[in-house]
Amino acid sequence: MDYFKKIFKESIIVVLISSVMGLFSGTLLSSNEQILASFPIILLVLPSLNSLTGNISTVLVSRLTSHLYLGTLSPKIKTSNRLKQDFYGLLITILLSLAALISIGYIIGIVTGIEIVNPLLIISILNVTVLILFGVMFVFLFIGSILLFRNGKDPNNYLIPIITSLSDFLTPLLIIIFIHIFIL
Amino acid sequence: MEAQDSKGKIIKENFPSEMVSIVGDILAGIVLSLLIISFKSFILLILIIPALLSLRGNLSGPFIARTSRDFIIGEFNVKSWFENVMATFLLSLLTAFAIGIFSILMNFLLVKLYIFNIGLLIAIPVVSIVFTLSISIPCSTLLNFIAFKRGLDPNNVVNPMMTAIDDFFTIICFYLTIIMLGVP
Repeated sequence: MDYFKKIFKESIIVVLISSVMGLFSGTLLSSNEQILASFPIILLVLPSLNSLTGNISTVLVSRLTSHLYLGTLSPKIKTSNRLKQDFYGLLITILLSLAALISIGYIIGIVTGIEIVNPLLIISILNVTVLILFGVMFVFLFIGSILLFRNGKDPNNYLIPIITSLSDFLTPLLIIIFIHIFIL
Repeated sequence: MEAQDSKGKIIKENFPSEMVSIVGDILAGIVLSLLIISFKSFILLILIIPALLSLRGNLSGPFIARTSRDFIIGEFNVKSWFENVMATFLLSLLTAFAIGIFSILMNFLLVKLYIFNIGLLIAIPVVSIVFTLSISIPCSTLLNFIAFKRGLDPNNVVNPMMTAIDDFFTIICFYLTIIMLGVP
């Protein structure tokens, strides 16, 4: 039962904290209901946007962990061709997915008669939010994976729960901040 | 296999899975609005759902990443999978219980809605997450196996696809749980 114990021991605290953070994400949305209700398109795409940033971060952590276990990525904090391929591959994927998400969101918005307010500015806010989150998370997850792996820990057990909850919290937070700065 | 992954391969494998995730999450949002909005306790239930979705991501994300890594590094076997499953279920029970306790606390401090036995706020996340994982774990293991056998990198494909499937089933299982427990 060594594997069971390792997973449980490494995960329990981080999963507990991350999951309870989900309650705070709900509270953040409830307390900014008025702002979000003024831009219904954001409410429509927000769950998918949370998933998108969470998914890309999860893919990055699991790829980095596999590279480290396989030995195709050296456990040192320095750039490498492997890291650049992951960075550009995931950056292009997240931008393409965001374009698709915004298009689907607006098509559904038009079909269902949802009020579309300031579309260019909203699209810019969504793009900037995703780019900032991607950049920050890439650096944080790369350094975090290397440090955890060096200490004999499995980065999957620690970083995926943290990043899932952080992206659920930070995505709406950044959008709300940008709406305050650029629109209100 | 992973050592040769180029950014093109990452995009090619990851983007279609992200599309499935985006469409699935939009559908999940629509199902959520249709099914849950009619409940008298909606304002309380909507507090639990983000935490439950976070919990699902915090548990199944690492579970999928560990299974993918075990396939890739050649260490996948029934024993390691069983221990992985047991650890995931034990973590889910403990964390769902904690979410229930925090929900009671937040209801007491913020929402102040007392239209059903408050103990149900513990039972709802516990029963709901066990239902969800009972569907998610076999599905993700099968998807990991199929992706690996077909020469795809499971890290790129399985997590985004499972996000959509899991979010959809989290909402369905949540709905079935509140019906089963007689929540008004």
